[in-house]
Amino acid sequence: MSHPEDPGERRRDALSHRLLRGGTEPDPRFTLANERTFLAWIRTSLAFLAGGIAIEAFTGDLFDLPVRKFLVIVLLLLGMLLSAGAAVRWLNVERSMRHRAPLPLPLIAPLVAVGGAIASGVLVVVVLTR
Amino acid sequence: MSPAPAAAPCPHEDPGLQPERTVLSWGRTMMAFCTAAAVHLRWLPTHGGFVLVLFGLSLSLAGGIYVSQRIRYARAALGVAGEKLAPDAISVMTTAGACMLLGVLGITAMLFF
Repeated sequence: MSHPEDPGERRRDALSHRLLRGGTEPDPRFTLANERTFLAWIRTSLAFLAGGIAIEAFTGDLFDLPVRKFLVIVLLLLGMLLSAGAAVRWLNVERSMRHRAPLPLPLIAPLVAVGGAIASGVLVVVVLTR
Repeated sequence: MSPAPAAAPCPHEDPGLQPERTVLSWGRTMMAFCTAAAVHLRWLPTHGGFVLVLFGLSLSLAGGIYVSQRIRYARAALGVAGEKLAPDAISVMTTAGACMLLGVLGITAMLFF
């Protein structure tokens, strides 16, 4: 348990105080590496969001409106889930490092695989049955 | 001819350049937000002015990252030099929250505008 008078503790903002209780500050390099992994997931999430918008904007001649709507909503929902999952994973990894515990499994990795497979499967079926 | 001014000393001695890599990673994320903002504009002819909210949100996030880069680097470099760095929970949660909001607003635009 960290001491409240620890200078490192005083540097932390109110939100990290609330979210990350107890334990000790990990090696700063690990904290920065965790932040970079979070950012990589956020960019993946933004790719899904922008991909959804691009499908609606550029495939008007290719797909009917219901198919377009389905694909856009699936991709936007995936993007949202990924960004939420990225924040939760950042928090869980930071907590594990503070308590010297094993790192949690990345549950958002199968989410990307399954979501991407569903969106691609729908695209293949629609293109083949046109 | 006067000699060239000496370069400012690096505030940390990490051979892995972790602060630089992290700031560059934020920079790539900033560019991704700019790209998302530009792609949102493609919805303007079909979904109307509501799309400007999405455009503005993406661009604000990119701008927020841009103006905080120098502070972010100083914080990370000093943290690595002093072997103590507080996690940046505010930036992480703001970025993730903004992405979720972009998704919600995108679905709203798709269904109702």
